[in-house]
Amino acid sequence: MAIITISRRSYSKGKEVAEKVANRLGYDCISRDVLLDASKGFNIPEVKLIRAIHDAPSILGRFQHIKQVYIAYIRSALTQRVKADNIVYHGLAGHILLKGIPHVLKTRITINLEDRIAEEIKRKPIGKNEARSLLLKDDQERRKWTKSLYGKDPWDSTLYDLVIRIHKFSVDDAVNFICQAVSLKQFKTTDVSQHKMDDLAIACQVKAALVDEFYDVAVTSEYGNVIIYTKTDERLGHKFKQKVKSIENKIEGINNLEVHKGVPYPPEAI
Amino acid sequence: MPIIAFSSDSYQKSGEIAVKTAEALGYRCLDRKILRSVAAKHDIPEENLIKALDETPSFMGMSSKAWKRYLIYIQEVVLGILLDDNVVCHGLAAHLYLLGISHVLKVRLFEDREARAGIIAKQERVSREKAKKIVRRKEKQRKRWSLEAFGRDETDSSFYDMSINISQIDPGEAVSMLVTATGYRKFKPMTYSIECMKERELIGRVRVALLKDFPNASVQARGSAVVVKIKALKREKSRKISAVKELVGNISGVHHVEVHIIKDIFREAAESGR
Repeated sequence: MAIITISRRSYSKGKEVAEKVANRLGYDCISRDVLLDASKGFNIPEVKLIRAIHDAPSILGRFQHIKQVYIAYIRSALTQRVKADNIVYHGLAGHILLKGIPHVLKTRITINLEDRIAEEIKRKPIGKNEARSLLLKDDQERRKWTKSLYGKDPWDSTLYDLVIRIHKFSVDDAVNFICQAVSLKQFKTTDVSQHKMDDLAIACQVKAALVDEFYDVAVTSEYGNVIIYTKTDERLGHKFKQKVKSIENKIEGINNLEVHKGVPYPPEAI
Repeated sequence: MPIIAFSSDSYQKSGEIAVKTAEALGYRCLDRKILRSVAAKHDIPEENLIKALDETPSFMGMSSKAWKRYLIYIQEVVLGILLDDNVVCHGLAAHLYLLGISHVLKVRLFEDREARAGIIAKQERVSREKAKKIVRRKEKQRKRWSLEAFGRDETDSSFYDMSINISQIDPGEAVSMLVTATGYRKFKPMTYSIECMKERELIGRVRVALLKDFPNASVQARGSAVVVKIKALKREKSRKISAVKELVGNISGVHHVEVHIIKDIFREAAESGR
């Protein structure tokens, strides 16, 4: 069994593909649910989380760390949801937020701009030119967002395992290909890959618990052995130590928790 | 039956999958071995043709004129073979000049950058960091090449019907997906798509015929009617029109030739200044 992420631009039939894949395989299908979870779990209005995802960073980047906080919440909610496996996620940046997990099949659905415009016109009472500008603006905003937060271009095909263009291929064809790919051995959950997923979920939870007050920490977890990386000694105030102690007691799956100060963050750290 | 055109950063990797796909379908596999016949036909070194497919023109390397000429020679021969259908093509940039032909399945094969860097680090005995830089540089080169040659970024996945990460999806499974795809109705050749293919092939032959005297001519075809656009001064107009009609009129499959003259404003300005 596996986790499938489906990345897409707006009106690219990605949602339809995701729902049909989930239906065919008997998987759960989630997108916005993750935002609702994050909103409830961290007591942040959903609209703020949506803005954190959709709006590109401002030139001054004044509220960059707030975005980082909200992304940490979303990532924590997402990893909690998907670690149970057998799930299709078609929200933003699934292929980046779940990077490094072997049993995640990362797919992208693309479609011609003209077809997207036709879809948007069907749903909104606007003209073709306006629809085109809105779609292009939305594409650029999402692209800037992903690039600024993760240094990755979402249009870069090497981020995915499979990219399918809906044009000569229909939605059902895309569903067939995805279901065919997910049945491959390399996307089956193994003990090792499940541990990696559990560790990612733990690391994301720890980060989400700290990020509000201590936003420049990084976290790794390996078989429940959690390391919190922080930049300088000054961080280890009483407040920080208290917080870390409470995390150890609150979050399930932590075998050991350490704080490393003043060392470079490893590349895989959250 | 459809044509499958592969694009890849690695000629070797795409070759592996192209050969297996062709075997599975009983298709011909068209690759760079065809360059031998192109070289023999036009009396040019084969390595120049390979270079033209891999490199952009440069000050110390191939001239822009020669580069464009070689690409036109390659297209002429490749398009002639693709008229027959049931072909898998890789390493010849066919995915870039078969746009708009509905029975062409365009596939991009790519690998994880980390995996590629690992292979390069091993082969060239360099550090991982250096290998990653080499990978990025090669990608930029490939993007620049395709933009200069055909005005398209071949690394853009939205350009293809399907893009497959062959570091994650093994070649056997990729072949299986492609075999399935060729069975879909929309990839079956139809009257209109076959006509489009014939027009492309005709354009290829006309461009070769015009290369020596009119290397910058633009050629379009509708059925057996050919429209050639060239630049000329007023005083050269009738002479050049006659020359084009003579060169193109005798090509098999051409029944009508129209020549459109585009004003050569720079030469006119230069001449009026004298």
